[in-house]
Amino acid sequence: MVRLQQDPFLNELTNMFERTTDKGSVWVTLKHSSDKSKVQRNKMKTYGEKIEYKCLVRATDGKKTISTVME
Amino acid sequence: MVYITSWDDFVEKSVQLFRADPEKTRYGMKYRHCDGKLVLKVTDDRECIKFKTDQAQDAKKMEKLNNIFFTLMARGPEGNIVSRDYFTNQLIYPMQMSPFIYLFLVNRDV
Repeated sequence: MVRLQQDPFLNELTNMFERTTDKGSVWVTLKHSSDKSKVQRNKMKTYGEKIEYKCLVRATDGKKTISTVME
Repeated sequence: MVYITSWDDFVEKSVQLFRADPEKTRYGMKYRHCDGKLVLKVTDDRECIKFKTDQAQDAKKMEKLNNIFFTLMARGPEGNIVSRDYFTNQLIYPMQMSPFIYLFLVNRDV
């Protein structure tokens, strides 16, 4: 799973769509995420720290997966 | 897997699902250009709703739903999507998702 910045992510996503014109699928998933592990989130909760959420976007063509984070 | 036929019902139910459980709810899309099929799925790992289409005109609706979810997921379940006037084109897109539209409209044998 490759984490990219927004512009490279969009470029790669466009490439995925272009590559799968004749055959194949593209999956894109959106998720509300803080990008932190369960352990970290629980710790932040017990210390009363505010957890910042972002929008996690993942895309795959079945072989390669890319992702990016949006605030 | 429940396929919903009405677009508006799908949108309403998906926003409801997200607001009820923002930690678990995710929105997924699967697009196959060779079949011209798009399937949208919203699930919180307990309930699942889907919407499928092969119509180019649904690309615009999907774009609007994408923006609703971008806002909700980046800002949180209290994100105000109504005031963004999403039925007109006065929406500021948080991220250019034009690849979707491009691939729908190109080579669609209508």
